[in-house]
Amino acid sequence: MIEAIPQLLVNALALGSTYALAALGFVLVINAVGAVNFAHGELVMLGGFVAVGLAATLPETAVLPGLIVLPGVMLALAAVGLVLALIGYAPLRRAPPVSVFISTIAIGLIIQHAVTAGIGPEPRVGPPLIGTGSVELFGAVIARQQLATIAVAGLLLVAVHALLKHTRFGRRLRAAAQDPVMARAIGIPVVLTTAASFAMAGALAGAAGLMLSNQYFVAPTDGAVLMLKAYVATVIGGWGRVWGAALGAFAIAAFETVVAASVSYLVAEVLLYVGVLALLMLRPRGLFGEAEGRRA
Amino acid sequence: MTPRLVLDGVSVARSDTVVVEPLSLSMDAGEVVALLGANGAGKSSLIEAVAGHLPIVAGTLRLDGRDVTAGSLQARARAGIAWCPEGRRLFPGLTVEETLDVAATGNRRVRAEAIERMFALFPALAAHRKTPAWQLSGGQQQMLAIARAVIAAPRVVLLDEPSLGLAPAVLDSVFDAVRRLAEDGAAVLLAEQNVARALAVAGRTLVLARGRVILEGPSERIAVDPTLPGALLGV
Amino acid sequence: MRAIDRRGWVYALMALLGFAALAAAGDGYALRIATLVGIYAIAAIGFQLVFGHLGLLALSQGAFFGIGAYALALATVELGVTPLPGLLIAVLVPALLGALVALPVARLESHYVALATLGLAQLALLLATNLEVLGGANGVYGVPPLTVLGVNLAEGWPMLVAVWLGVALALALGGWATAGRRGARLTTLRDAPLAAPALGLDPMGYRVGMFALAAGTAGLGGGLQALDLGVVSPAVLRFDVMVTLLAIAVVGGRGSGLGAVAAAALLVPLPELFRGFESGYLIVYGGAMLAAIVLLPRGLDGALARMVPRPAPIPPRQGTVPPRLGVALRVEGLSRRFGGVVALDGVSFTVPSGRIVGLIGANGSGKTTALNRISGLDRVGGGEMWLGKTRIDTLSPARRARLGLARGFQHPEIPADLSVFEVVVAAAPSGEAAMAALDRTGLIDRAREPAASLGPAARRGLDLARALATGPSVLLLDEPAAGLTAEERDRLSSLLRRLAREGRALLVVEHSMDFLLPLADRIICLDAGRVIAEGTADTVAADPAVRTAYLGREVVS
Repeated sequence: MIEAIPQLLVNALALGSTYALAALGFVLVINAVGAVNFAHGELVMLGGFVAVGLAATLPETAVLPGLIVLPGVMLALAAVGLVLALIGYAPLRRAPPVSVFISTIAIGLIIQHAVTAGIGPEPRVGPPLIGTGSVELFGAVIARQQLATIAVAGLLLVAVHALLKHTRFGRRLRAAAQDPVMARAIGIPVVLTTAASFAMAGALAGAAGLMLSNQYFVAPTDGAVLMLKAYVATVIGGWGRVWGAALGAFAIAAFETVVAASVSYLVAEVLLYVGVLALLMLRPRGLFGEAEGRRA
Repeated sequence: MTPRLVLDGVSVARSDTVVVEPLSLSMDAGEVVALLGANGAGKSSLIEAVAGHLPIVAGTLRLDGRDVTAGSLQARARAGIAWCPEGRRLFPGLTVEETLDVAATGNRRVRAEAIERMFALFPALAAHRKTPAWQLSGGQQQMLAIARAVIAAPRVVLLDEPSLGLAPAVLDSVFDAVRRLAEDGAAVLLAEQNVARALAVAGRTLVLARGRVILEGPSERIAVDPTLPGALLGV
Repeated sequence: MRAIDRRGWVYALMALLGFAALAAAGDGYALRIATLVGIYAIAAIGFQLVFGHLGLLALSQGAFFGIGAYALALATVELGVTPLPGLLIAVLVPALLGALVALPVARLESHYVALATLGLAQLALLLATNLEVLGGANGVYGVPPLTVLGVNLAEGWPMLVAVWLGVALALALGGWATAGRRGARLTTLRDAPLAAPALGLDPMGYRVGMFALAAGTAGLGGGLQALDLGVVSPAVLRFDVMVTLLAIAVVGGRGSGLGAVAAAALLVPLPELFRGFESGYLIVYGGAMLAAIVLLPRGLDGALARMVPRPAPIPPRQGTVPPRLGVALRVEGLSRRFGGVVALDGVSFTVPSGRIVGLIGANGSGKTTALNRISGLDRVGGGEMWLGKTRIDTLSPARRARLGLARGFQHPEIPADLSVFEVVVAAAPSGEAAMAALDRTGLIDRAREPAASLGPAARRGLDLARALATGPSVLLLDEPAAGLTAEERDRLSSLLRRLAREGRALLVVEHSMDFLLPLADRIICLDAGRVIAEGTADTVAADPAVRTAYLGREVVS
């Protein structure tokens, strides 16, 4: 068991960083429009399939197949995110938030079954980021894919942080999310920042989907569970807190990895949902409450 | 010379109720006009309608002679009408510097200069560049709200109750800033319940009651008008 | 008090046409589809109670459908229960679970309700797939067909009729649960969540009841499906069932039982059109749901209502509201802080019965905070509050309202879907009492009009009528004269005077002094959370401290 600890740690980090990418996109949309994007899991799943499809066009000898297709996957899913905003959100801007819940449930359903109808229900394996193989680290054999996942996902997380924190565009995006009326009052184009939030959510979901598809395969029915994990991560991290959601994602991944390794994956899943229900029962506003200062 | 801001028979509604009856007002560049009146008299509604947040249901609004009645909140902001709302409404998670940066215009260098100008106007903010807005004191928040509104060198500044909840010492710097904005060439429309301060800073004053102007004229004259206290108490 | 709703005829005609077409086609396949339509309609009618009437996106209805199916299958196959009592089990098990789930779930905010119920559904699916006791991934086989008094109703017309009797039962139950005063109260709880507690309405009881009823109907649908198919597998717990029910509810129109039946008849046969196209029908469900939410936000029933409007209920004759008179409101040492800001700082006063007390003060002086503390909407902070001899500061706002404390709002929440009469009857002990309250505020002639058609002044009057209908001894009013014409103010003044003269205690927050000073017996002036002056109108209006508070600290005039 002792020698397995570095292995477990790497597993948890790799899984956690992909979950974090997914949760980040989920919470960006929540902040931008104040509603849950139920199709977000389907965007992650779609990212996996786009990666599978793009990788099939590469010559078999290509090194770094996953890295090569990553920009294409992110771009494609950013476009899907924009379409989602256009169809599922734009017509319902003035409707109550529950309408957006329903429209995204509908879009998720369409994506899931269109993929099933088009490609078939079988799970597929996505391209590895930097090829297969493994390295030995602290006496444990660790897949190169996992190290690459941690590195690439980590870089993306840092990039999003830099964008939101250090660019004017990212700051404007945050301002528009915190108070859309005052953002308009100082001339911020809120339509653009909202669209950008959906596009970023799509791109991050695509990246998460690519990395998950290599480690765990991807099937058209995966979306719902992925969306639930992002949802749970957001509740754990505090509703509307961007980095809280990422931390929540790491917490879920660590929990799943440890329980799955010591008992079973099924028990990990069951305990996760029981835990969330207990959490909501004891703290009806989430673990850390909600992001402060948000106005309706 | 074309007046900076002209309200011609402007009437305002809040959720279908008319809250400001047709009202006309012309303001020149560099002028401060105070709006006084009891709560619910229509001061905030008028300010919000000029900002573009509430609908103007009748009349026209002209900025430098151009009709902007139909413009949205965002369009009016771009045209140079800045709004500093009651209750400040800062972006709680953005720091002082970030707040000013998103509101400024121009390239990075121009924006940095504009931010320094704001720190010169409100030296109290300079020490808190990296502090998130929600952690600032009430007075600092009000200064940041004004700075956010005026950093893009607007042509018209709308200030809604800037003195609310502030200590007298802080009021000095807020009203000092109002005076300097006008000296720099903006037209300032100021809704206030601190009558003495408002009369001291404004050249002209309008007193509203139930959506109508009941007193209007140079502030020195309004200050000694025997009907003023009654008008403000709504008696 | 119910008026005839002509939409009922439209639906009846549609049902008649459907059955005629079915009889004409007559083949077993068509009958099976029509049976399936009925099964989903039953569960969707139940879903409307929670989704439509409570306004909660509870994504557990599909799971309750599956739990009902499992309950029936296990009871009949493992315990040897006969199908008819088996159906009762299929209803009761989910209903009980529904009530249990409602207790924690119903107090969550909407975005957590969806997650919590989705989590429950996911748990049910995981357990059914993996527990051998529940048949594991294979499910439960050999469910006996439905027999009643030895007659086999397994398929064809008998099963169809049995299922559609279930539809009729679900419609009747749903109609009973949402009719009349209870329906008006449910709508008030959903569309006026802030006003409802102040009118004495407590959401918890309604929520538990509706969740149980919804889960029970879902279980009935699931149980009937188990009998129809003879087998139950974990697939019945998959999200697909939930999505189908949601699509039916959205297309049918939020809250409408008959609309749900119509939508089920449209949507449920679709999979058969897309056979061989693996679960492709769900794409169509997605498309239908999306189109409905964007283009027909009120669904089929809403579209029909635009053509054939729902008639408002015929109000009863006017009765009287027995007020609980002679009770005073006493407040002692009321305090409240928001972070570092002191909003109320040891405020004490009494409002005797038969008197009108005016509460004045500049913006931010603490007037509305005081009203919120007294009515119980805000229960944080110190001080004692007494209603007569009852101490109320630990009680919920609904309890305070039921003890005789009523409140009018500055911006009243009025449910747009109700008639004027229904808005008031939601708060009243009886229809007659509601009419009496409408009479006092001059709205009795408009009782059958839609509340949404009232102008701003009439909306304020309606809010006051609603407060009066609770039979209060103490009435709190927040800026009742704002936005009224001179004539309307005069009428309001004399009404308030009469209400006080009859023995009620009135506390009125108002900015407009010309309205308040002649009206109030006493005036209390707040500044920065403290009482700075108290006395008759004349003395307070002349008080220099009051003038300073209103005109700014440095003014001397």
